[in-house]
Amino acid sequence: MMNLSRNIERVPFRSIEKQLVASYCNSSPQTQTKQEEFRALNIRNVKDPFQTRRRLQKTAVFPPRADQMPVDQDWGSVWPGPRSFHPATVPLPVRQGFTEKGAPPPNKFNNAELMKIPNFLHLTPPVIKRQCEALKKFCTPWPKALDNEDKIQKNFPIEVISSDYCYSSPTIRDPMARIITVKFKLASLKLDDRARDKFLRLVGPRYNEENDTVTIVTDRCPLKKQNYDYAMYLVTALFHESKKVEPWEEMKSEADMEIYCWENNASKKNIEALFGCKSEEIPNAAEYSEAVSHYMNEGENDYTISKYGEAVKKLLKLQGTN
Amino acid sequence: MFKMNIPGAFLRRSYRLKCTKCLGRSLSTATEEKIEIPARIERGPTDILRALESTITRDITAAHYKYHDDPYLLPMNNLAKRSFAMAQEAGRKAAHWVRSQHPELFNHQECDPPIEAFFPKMVYNENSEVTEEDLKNVIDRAQVSDAILINNLLKAKGLEITNETKQSLLELLCYNNSEDILDEEFIEERWFKQSSGIKDRQRKTWKDASAAEEIFISIDKPTSDSYSAIIQGMAKFNQAARAYQLLEEAQEKGFELNIHAYNSIIKCANFIKENYDLRWSFIVNMLERIKQAGLKPNLGTLNAVLFTLSTMVNSRMVKDFALKTLNEFKSLDIEPSLGSWYYILITFCKDRGPRSAVLKNILNEIENKNHKIQDLSDTHFFVTAMDIAHHHLNDISVGQRLHKLLLFGNNYDLIGDSYKESIYYRHYFSLVLSNVPLQDFMESMYNKLVPNIYVPEPSVMREVIKQIELNALIEYIPRIWSDIIVFNQHNREDLLNLILSVMVDNKPKQDTELVEKFANIGWDIYETIDGQNQERYSNLQFTGDLLGKIMIVLLRNDNFEKACTVMNKLDHQHQSIVGVPCFEALSLFVDHCIKNKAPSRAIECIQYASDSGFPDIITLGAKLNEQLTLDEKHLNRLSKFVDLKLS
Repeated sequence: MMNLSRNIERVPFRSIEKQLVASYCNSSPQTQTKQEEFRALNIRNVKDPFQTRRRLQKTAVFPPRADQMPVDQDWGSVWPGPRSFHPATVPLPVRQGFTEKGAPPPNKFNNAELMKIPNFLHLTPPVIKRQCEALKKFCTPWPKALDNEDKIQKNFPIEVISSDYCYSSPTIRDPMARIITVKFKLASLKLDDRARDKFLRLVGPRYNEENDTVTIVTDRCPLKKQNYDYAMYLVTALFHESKKVEPWEEMKSEADMEIYCWENNASKKNIEALFGCKSEEIPNAAEYSEAVSHYMNEGENDYTISKYGEAVKKLLKLQGTN
Repeated sequence: MFKMNIPGAFLRRSYRLKCTKCLGRSLSTATEEKIEIPARIERGPTDILRALESTITRDITAAHYKYHDDPYLLPMNNLAKRSFAMAQEAGRKAAHWVRSQHPELFNHQECDPPIEAFFPKMVYNENSEVTEEDLKNVIDRAQVSDAILINNLLKAKGLEITNETKQSLLELLCYNNSEDILDEEFIEERWFKQSSGIKDRQRKTWKDASAAEEIFISIDKPTSDSYSAIIQGMAKFNQAARAYQLLEEAQEKGFELNIHAYNSIIKCANFIKENYDLRWSFIVNMLERIKQAGLKPNLGTLNAVLFTLSTMVNSRMVKDFALKTLNEFKSLDIEPSLGSWYYILITFCKDRGPRSAVLKNILNEIENKNHKIQDLSDTHFFVTAMDIAHHHLNDISVGQRLHKLLLFGNNYDLIGDSYKESIYYRHYFSLVLSNVPLQDFMESMYNKLVPNIYVPEPSVMREVIKQIELNALIEYIPRIWSDIIVFNQHNREDLLNLILSVMVDNKPKQDTELVEKFANIGWDIYETIDGQNQERYSNLQFTGDLLGKIMIVLLRNDNFEKACTVMNKLDHQHQSIVGVPCFEALSLFVDHCIKNKAPSRAIECIQYASDSGFPDIITLGAKLNEQLTLDEKHLNRLSKFVDLKLS
């Protein structure tokens, strides 16, 4: 405590003393203050430790070249390929991004949002047209006879889809390129009902009921060719397997049927016995059989029951008693 | 995504099934059309890319695609173009260096199919185990020093190499003069390297007693091939005497040399024979020998003969010989390449010779054709032809035809290197500049080619400024000045002086934008010279004349303050500034002093004028005295050097 107060006292006193000295010897006040300055320890004995840094020569930055572009320039040559957005090259006043409410979106300069999104500035309609013109010489004309979808379907029932990938990297391989997709219409195989049923059981979810299409995707082999061969093998095997009739298939009894079929059932025999003639000759039998099948296949509900009732009434000519 | 409908093996089978099944129906469907699928059009792996590329033209606002398309990184002058490209090249070299220093880091093989250039290079030293296979590989990759090393190792081990390998090694060494050449990958270095070939052409560079000669000696039974190789090597690097000696030796021993050996000897005729007549008879002799050997001359023979002819003195005889040679080879169905035409041009269009229109005839031959490089000299054609169109013929139509030929197809590949390209455009610009109205020139050429394709040299800029003065189109001056700054030519004293005097001599109409722009240019010039680094080697110095002009330009825009700064400079650095400004500048300054009521500045100016020894200061003093009422102090100062009473 004592020490501190003495120090405090000393400091202003010394400064006053300095001022006095300065006022006395007015000759060189600068040198006086310089000696008082805090001196840095100069270990390496460098002459001037505070070397002024060399001023970097600033090179002029030129205005964006978008400003000099003529209006009728060939844009396809300015932006020939895919690349990320650059404000100095695109002469469009585009804006993108989000700021506070009411303010317009940020402009194209220093705008990371514009660089993030993919742009298709290299594929403007005239460029696409031009490129198609240039590629025409590699294309053959479409066969004239194949002028509608039905003919294509008939003559080329099978469709094979594969992908090729192209990018700048040391390797030209891409694991995705091995995948083969084979599509065809089930109708084009011309299977009978039994074989068709068996085929559907074999392909399972690969069959699309809506458009009658079977889709087989193979990707288990490392090469495209192998996968293609495997897919073709699968199609062949499925076809022949579904045509084959195994001995145990003959043993399928009524109880094994997956849907109710009126033709094979007791109901038909019963009405034949009742009317004493073939079911085709019985009036309204078709409607009845339909109603019964509906009732059996769809389950018991108001609609099927009422429908069944109507059919029975019609069959037995019980009209008007109600 | 590619969709393909493949009628494969399976389908064919299903067809057959269909046919047997519907045999009964087939009669009714017999009228069905037959489907013909056209054959696939064969194409190479890059054909599609090339087709797409053909839709793209040169974008005039963009720099070459090797530079980054960004305002900060686009080079605008030759120095920047060179340094930016070389910086990239340096990066490439650094990568090569890292790979050679740490080959263990590059053992992963990402590439499939394997790319040899990506793998670390094999390093051979004294202790490596080598076989002839290694030697063959190294020769295939043209690694000259490695080939020499492996050959020595094999020799030390006492392993024999087959004669075929020896021959190919000899050919490699002869072709490269037993030296490693710059890697093909460094295209930028090749592009910016000033054509060193011109200097080397004149002197012997063949290494005597080099590895190539050792190999040649070590071959027990030299064949005609080994003789041909060593002769070609010596002749290529101008060891002419020994090449000729070997030729004679081979002929004595009865070897049949190949045509290339004869070609290379013909090319050295200058070194072998002194006199022009002797040279010609030597060439004829060689051609006779080719005939005797039953060889068919080729383009190389033609170019070698024309080359030797082009180095001979200008005489009628030489031209006749050249034409005869062309005719002779034409009858042999040998089409001359651009290099042959280059030799013809330099034979016919000598500097001091009569004017010859041979270029027009040549253009008729080669116009609208795609030319491929067939001879090293092909790259000299365009630059020389443009030089001749400019200096020899001064014919704009020839220049434009030539330029059209250059832009035709892939002919631009034959421009050579950056140096040749620059000279080509220099001649083209000068030619057009002096033959076409300036406005057309600016629109059709300057705006399109500058600065991305060509940066005009100071000499071309000087011509442009001169044309501006001749055509009195001073509105181009600001544009040209900004270009001068961009091209880094604003430290050229002659350009500064020229542009200033054009601005002073062609006074723009008062109150137009140009007056202000000119004043800004003047101040720019002042600041450039004033602000430049004092430590620089070649400093620009103010001259009195330059400062006077700057002052005039400034005062025309009423920039009195800036003009005062210039006047101060003149006054204070009186000793160091060479020359004096013109009197008009000082007079104008005094006028503006009067206008701004600054008598002391005017007096300083008059004092300076008096010190500089102008005789007319009395008029200045009188003018000042009349138009401003000076106080006692000013009058005293003024009367020190002007006798006011006289006026």
